[in-house]
Amino acid sequence: MASISLLNPKAEIARAAQALAINISAAKGLQDVMRTNLGPKGTVKMLVSGAGDIKITKDGNVLLHEMQIQHPTASMIARASTAQDDSTGDGTTTTVILIGELLKQADIYLSEGLHPRIMAAGFDKAREKTLEVLENCKVPVEINKKNLMEVANTSLKTKVHPVLADLLTEVCVDAILTIANGTLEPVDLHMVELMEMQHKTATDTQLVRGLVMDHGGRHPEMPKRLEKCYILTANVSLEYEKAEVNSGFFYKTAEEREAFVRAERDFIDQRVKKVIDLKRSLCDGTGKTFVLINQKGIDPLSLDALAKEGILALRRAKRRNMERLALACGGTALNTFEDLQEEHLGYAGVVYEHVLGENKYTFVEDCKHPLSVTILIKGPNKHTILQIKDAIRDGLRAINNTIRDKALIPGAGAFEVRAYNELLVYKDTIKGKARLAVQAFADALLVVPKTLAINSGYDAQDTIVKLVTEDRLTPDLAGLDLATGEPMKPADMGIYDNYIVKKQIINSCSIIAGNLLLVDEVMRAGLTSLKG
Amino acid sequence: MALSVPKAPGVSQMLKDGARMYSGLEEAVYRNISACKEFAQTMRSAYGPNGMNKMIINHIEKQFVTSDAGTIMRELDVEHPAAKLIVMASQMQDAEVGDGTNFVVVLAGALLESAEELLRLGITTAEIADGYEKALEKALEILPKLVCHKIEDYRNVDKVKDVLRTTIMSKQYGQEDFLNDLVSKACVSILPDEGTFNVDNIRICKILGSGLPKSEVVRGMVFKRFVEGDVTFAEKAKIAIFSCPVDIIQTETKGTVLIKSADELMKFSSGEESLLENQIKAIADAGVKVIVAGGKVGDMALHFLNKYGLMAVRLNSKFDLRRLSRSVNATVLPRITTPSQEELGYCDKVCIEELGDTTIVAFRNEGKDSRIATVVIRGATDNFMDDIERALDDAVNSFKCLTRDGRYLPGAGATEIELATQLSAYADTLPGLEQYSVRKFAQALEVFPKALSENSGFNGTEAVNLLYLAHNSESGKNIGFDIEAETASTIDAAKAKIFDLYQGKFWGLKYAVGAATTILKVDQIIMAKRAGGPKPRQAAGSDDES
Repeated sequence: MASISLLNPKAEIARAAQALAINISAAKGLQDVMRTNLGPKGTVKMLVSGAGDIKITKDGNVLLHEMQIQHPTASMIARASTAQDDSTGDGTTTTVILIGELLKQADIYLSEGLHPRIMAAGFDKAREKTLEVLENCKVPVEINKKNLMEVANTSLKTKVHPVLADLLTEVCVDAILTIANGTLEPVDLHMVELMEMQHKTATDTQLVRGLVMDHGGRHPEMPKRLEKCYILTANVSLEYEKAEVNSGFFYKTAEEREAFVRAERDFIDQRVKKVIDLKRSLCDGTGKTFVLINQKGIDPLSLDALAKEGILALRRAKRRNMERLALACGGTALNTFEDLQEEHLGYAGVVYEHVLGENKYTFVEDCKHPLSVTILIKGPNKHTILQIKDAIRDGLRAINNTIRDKALIPGAGAFEVRAYNELLVYKDTIKGKARLAVQAFADALLVVPKTLAINSGYDAQDTIVKLVTEDRLTPDLAGLDLATGEPMKPADMGIYDNYIVKKQIINSCSIIAGNLLLVDEVMRAGLTSLKG
Repeated sequence: MALSVPKAPGVSQMLKDGARMYSGLEEAVYRNISACKEFAQTMRSAYGPNGMNKMIINHIEKQFVTSDAGTIMRELDVEHPAAKLIVMASQMQDAEVGDGTNFVVVLAGALLESAEELLRLGITTAEIADGYEKALEKALEILPKLVCHKIEDYRNVDKVKDVLRTTIMSKQYGQEDFLNDLVSKACVSILPDEGTFNVDNIRICKILGSGLPKSEVVRGMVFKRFVEGDVTFAEKAKIAIFSCPVDIIQTETKGTVLIKSADELMKFSSGEESLLENQIKAIADAGVKVIVAGGKVGDMALHFLNKYGLMAVRLNSKFDLRRLSRSVNATVLPRITTPSQEELGYCDKVCIEELGDTTIVAFRNEGKDSRIATVVIRGATDNFMDDIERALDDAVNSFKCLTRDGRYLPGAGATEIELATQLSAYADTLPGLEQYSVRKFAQALEVFPKALSENSGFNGTEAVNLLYLAHNSESGKNIGFDIEAETASTIDAAKAKIFDLYQGKFWGLKYAVGAATTILKVDQIIMAKRAGGPKPRQAAGSDDES
């Protein structure tokens, strides 16, 4: 034993073959967990958090976030998958299983003495070729409702129950189309508010072309439902606020104090009066009504005054809702009531309050040109709502990606099978050992249709053979029909994936896999703290 | 994140310390099922009028004796994730319908139990779940056809009584007629001419002492408080309600009285007094006899209130204040002003009453225009009264459903057996594997009459047999199990007026199947280590426990 050790004695270290084995086993382990999730027939997982909260999910990204992974390699893969989610919103499960499979295939050759460096270089070559194939498979699409429905449906079916998926597809596509308002530009997804209501069942989820806020009028006498409403959005305090400086009143008699009390309020009353005046001039005799939505507070006395006028006033609205209100109803959010004009006001057909147990919701609906919409998620319990929420987010992203790419890739494993065949051809043009890496890459790609088949209860080998032959025979792409286990044309069934998602998957997976292969030492610094 | 070089491969190695992971049929599915089964078994014995009570001591050592499923589940603090799903389904039922919580648990348990048998036969969880969903669809299709009773006029006390009886019976068997009388009267009396019935408008006030038969319905409100001033009785009174304290008005900014001489001090005090006196006098002149304040009633204000013969009541909860304002039809005023006539409320009688050793302030409105009724429950122990309260609560909720949807199904297990009969027939027409799960679904429904008869001390299988026999004929649709007979026998539920809410069964089936299929679809459970520290505080319940 060396008398002087190089590292802190508490440091942990794993070298060469051992390091590689750790990486590969981690990748495989993670793949094992996630593989059952892939595809519409995947199973769900139940996650129980430290506080005992239950989460039920199929979404790869959610799962990785909640699993509390501590293994360095696994957490690296998880991060790649999270990055996938951040940039495209879908394909997280695919990322994990593809990385796992790449390492698994590489392992076969590595154990026969192939140097990891050659493997990694071969992966790079294969990746470029695959991207080329991807370019060729791209199906340019027109942005219309039907096409968007197809891609959203493909994404959603992998996340929730088919009946629910169909419903959510409609909701998501409508939401995006409403906001896009005829343009074919990607939309700002923040303009789709997701509001949850624990109520009824999941299939009652709906799109509200307007806004839903999770609070209501704070005065019992305020109207619960208004039609043809002017909407004033403001960020003006309607409650007494103490002056910044230290101030006090001096008075001699009780009358004087009374006067002070009144004067103190006067400032606020003036503001309230301005709103009331505007309301009177606009609404009296026209059958229209008035709604005030304020980001700051409104004190009981002001509420009382507003309620007497039949104005529905909401206080402490969320900042982001103010922005959305202006988009949904028109009008501008005001920071002061000086110079209050009609053009500052927005308009909504109906505003009403919905009470659910102790929670109040205010619906602002029937706007003229809603540039911001709300998806109202309903579900009998928290975990259902969460599941839907994650699914909707992915669905919206999928639609937005399509609008951006203006192209789709046939789904159901069709692309992977085609890439496999192309890579096999490409392999023969390569000289040297890198050829083996291309072979490994091609084999790894097949994991997607394979897993789809296994999850649906079909024989993996059988299916793959069928698909590969089918693909060779026809110029069209052949995907797997999960209902029958036979090859089919994804285009006929309307199964499409996002171009950007696939592109991102191929890029990130091969890079991570290459990186992991090149690791030959894993170490962890020893803890220097006194605790250790 | 402290990363460490791991030693052995495997998924569990990748997770944080203390995290557990279960996957596959053996580890996850069967374990989930057995946990739910056990849980449902516990609840099953509490089902029906003859259900047994449970004694529960919850985490703060409070004791409950009840057969109300909602309470049992709430206090039991179920930890198993799968069982928790069932509890959640049941809580949703509570929120949606307010009754039939036990139905959800027992059905979900029975469905899972049947699923286990199917799983052992080699049918996959996905197929079972599909089959159950199919059966549910069919059951919901059949359900409207089984409706045997309908109430259109829910203002008729006698008709309402007919249907509320079953709900109360399942909680307080033996006292149902008396309680039914109270609830039906209370509910019908406050039904607004238009608009919906609000559960919140039936208040329950529990006062220790005497016996249940002394319970009564007070039209108006009752508070366990004492008046502030000397006046303890007012008749045909106008009422002013203030949400602020009744006292000298203070500025928001700190005020300082600038006094230079004793004379000024005198003047200031007297000025203050006269100001307040004028104010109160003005209120009294407006005809007000009772002042209700949301805040403190100042000493000086009290003096003047007494002087002008005003009765003063202080309510601490702003919700109580709002309810009272609804009850007496007044407007809550945010500051001390002289109220206009429209802002005043009216009450026939405001008085202090002593019940046992508790003093209450009662606002009684004998006229038709009270929007709120209070049921005063008397009883010997807190536990007993709590249980009565729960029974009443369920009944009031049933009434709410009744105003929305007056359709009723035959009770006493008749609906379930009829559904089972029809579903079995439906299963025979199905070609695929799902027919097994549809058939099991039908069998699972048998658990209700079985539970009813077992809880009454009869043989469950015998009862189910009897019922099937009766349901074979066209006329036997409404035949249910007779819990009152000496031997196991059947009874026509429609004739015996045992009715269950259509809504209750509808949502109950939906939620139970939803929970069961969700549990079945889970094939992997990952549990993080239980977080340390104190338990998260329960979300504050409704703050209206008076």
